[in-house]
Amino acid sequence: MKKIDVVSKRPIWLSVAAFFIVLSLVFIFTKGFNLGVEFVGGSEILVRAEGNMVEQDLRQALVEISPDFSAARVTRVRSVGDPANVVKFSVTVSKTFEVEEKTKIVEQLESKLAQKGFKAEVVSFNETGGTAAEEIRRLTWRAVLITLAAILAYITLRFNFIFGVGAVAALVHDVIVTLGFFSMFNYEINVPAVAALLTLIGYSLNNTIVVYDRVRENMKKFKGKDIPALINDSINQVLTRTINTSLTTFIVVFVLLLFAGNTIKPFAFGLSVGVLVGTYSSIFVAVPLVMKWVKYR
Amino acid sequence: MKAERVRLIIVLAVFFLALLALLWPTPNQTYKGLAKFFQRVRLGLDIRGGARLEYRVDVEPGVENPSQVVDDVWTVLRNRLDAAGYTEATLRKSFRENQSFIVVEIPDVADTTSAEKLLGSIGVMFFGQVLDESASDPSTDPRLMDLAKIKKARWLPSRDGKVWYLVREEIMLVKDLKLVSPRIITASPVPETRVGRFGYKVTFELASKDAEVFKRITQQLVVPETAIGTAAAKEKRLAIVLDDVVQFAGYVVSVIPDGKAEITGNFSLEEAKQLAAILRSGALPARLEKVSTGWVAPLLGSDIIKSSLVAGLIGLILVMIYMIVFYGIQGVVADIALIYNTILLLGVMAATRSILTLPGIAGIFFTIGTTVDGNIIIAERIKEELRAGKSIKAAIAAGFDRSFITLFDANLTTIIAGLVLYYFGTGTVKGFAITLIIGVAGSFFVNMVLSRLFTDAFHNLIRVPKAAERGVEP
Repeated sequence: MKKIDVVSKRPIWLSVAAFFIVLSLVFIFTKGFNLGVEFVGGSEILVRAEGNMVEQDLRQALVEISPDFSAARVTRVRSVGDPANVVKFSVTVSKTFEVEEKTKIVEQLESKLAQKGFKAEVVSFNETGGTAAEEIRRLTWRAVLITLAAILAYITLRFNFIFGVGAVAALVHDVIVTLGFFSMFNYEINVPAVAALLTLIGYSLNNTIVVYDRVRENMKKFKGKDIPALINDSINQVLTRTINTSLTTFIVVFVLLLFAGNTIKPFAFGLSVGVLVGTYSSIFVAVPLVMKWVKYR
Repeated sequence: MKAERVRLIIVLAVFFLALLALLWPTPNQTYKGLAKFFQRVRLGLDIRGGARLEYRVDVEPGVENPSQVVDDVWTVLRNRLDAAGYTEATLRKSFRENQSFIVVEIPDVADTTSAEKLLGSIGVMFFGQVLDESASDPSTDPRLMDLAKIKKARWLPSRDGKVWYLVREEIMLVKDLKLVSPRIITASPVPETRVGRFGYKVTFELASKDAEVFKRITQQLVVPETAIGTAAAKEKRLAIVLDDVVQFAGYVVSVIPDGKAEITGNFSLEEAKQLAAILRSGALPARLEKVSTGWVAPLLGSDIIKSSLVAGLIGLILVMIYMIVFYGIQGVVADIALIYNTILLLGVMAATRSILTLPGIAGIFFTIGTTVDGNIIIAERIKEELRAGKSIKAAIAAGFDRSFITLFDANLTTIIAGLVLYYFGTGTVKGFAITLIIGVAGSFFVNMVLSRLFTDAFHNLIRVPKAAERGVEP
């Protein structure tokens, strides 16, 4: 494999990373996030139908009415004593509606479903609270900072402090850029998306540590060698591994992104972006950023 | 070849244990087909659904801040579910035309009656005054019923249903001196230390807003210890009533000024625990009226779950093929390793009865990635050692030795992050952290033991890089 020049083109790689961070921050702070109903609450519509209506029929009808419903969660529910030929669906969406809007949506939905040949009616249209709001609240800055501190401490112990800083910087880069992409592409941040972000943390760390490990090994083996050249060689030595690992992961998440339904898409999107961003940062950010301060011990 | 035999035995033993945990028969088999193998893995609301209960919150008219009442109801129910180990259950408030509802969804509960039980009492708790007691059912005795009318009190059964108490909410008929829906901050069983007593007592502490009322109540009801058992004292007992059942009735032996009280009764540990749990789980600040009970399908949508599962499997198969194409026999070893580790992880989840949700699946997914990655790292390392001119056996030994350190650091860093997430997270995040920690630890084991075993076994199938490829490394 051809060697890539990570070290001497360092300003370019770091500028690309910086550019994406700034772009992401701009999107995050101006456009913001499209938060899922489980975090912010919204509306719940209960639809009752006779016959064999399925989730997809309802999802389609909803999207035809308004794009507000593209991320709507459609779940079948059933109460004790419901007749066998009746199906009920709970539709939740992270938006609340005025009284007039509600009436209009109910009318449109019922007529849309009638057009499709279903005998369906809206039973209730409620405002609903979130179910997972608490989780976000508890996973506060404190938790994030403690996670980063723990990682920093471990890497300092096993490698050196400066590598710890590089790993944390790479991690922060990955999370910010991935969040930025969520904002840019307007994907809903729901519980699965949060799971994707958490996975990304592990993934990014793993990648970074493998690079560090190689640098550490070579620094022992070739003590005294010019550090920039040594770092460049180390990164290139693990490059096949990095690419293969990223590619295998990317295959899975990308297939998922192509074929999964609306509730899983944010998860697959987060991981697809995350894998790319995480791979980039482990090669072009984690070491190059702190290279100046790396010294033989 | 002693090391090899030890590895083989460990690999088989662990595999056997994982299968045992997965296939151990469950009382009510509900999954069909291939899913039968995963019978014992409890699935979360998002991928399997569960019981769904809907209650209307009966907020009394004239309450200053009705939404606060609904919030309080929510908190009490949340605590009860958490205490019962159902942190994955969801609870949400819902509003329509000035009415408030609470929708509860509980995973892995098939019948609605046990779901209702899990949620506990939906009634109100109050501290009342015991005026009389009867050993026979008062509803069959008109004289006792008349007595209740005259005293403006009600006959309520005790917990064991053998004794009935005549209880009045208003203490000593002092106007408005009553304590309904007290907020109890803590309650716990404590071993009895006083001479002449044995077993356990229960200590509890009221929130400061209720402490003052409780002080006045105890001032009214206090009886000297010498008078206990006399007719006059019997009319001054304090009752703790939940759901119209007297949970406890006893004497107040001193005025409680600060809301910190203890209930003595020579309880067994079990009784004390129960009473503490009743106090702690707290009373609801409003009565709940059941609107509907039933079931909910997977929250993410049954059809979406199915299509995602298919997509996930296709992706996985592509990865497995890619690994074989790129790494040959070592790719096959990696594929075996990833299947093995997934079974291992599911086995641990089944054995610990953890609930698997989508974030948990993300953890499994990450585990698969780590396992494959470990194999890639090892394979690349062996390739390097071969390029450096080592014999196959020596290259394998050196490759695994060196990769041990790499994987140890990479995996332990991930586990540290997982532990912090587990400690701070709730439901979702915790679920992810659990599978992450188990899975990453498992992948390290699988990489070092199983992959080593198979790589050694198939060492003559490993492709040796041609001499031309043997570049000089730095």
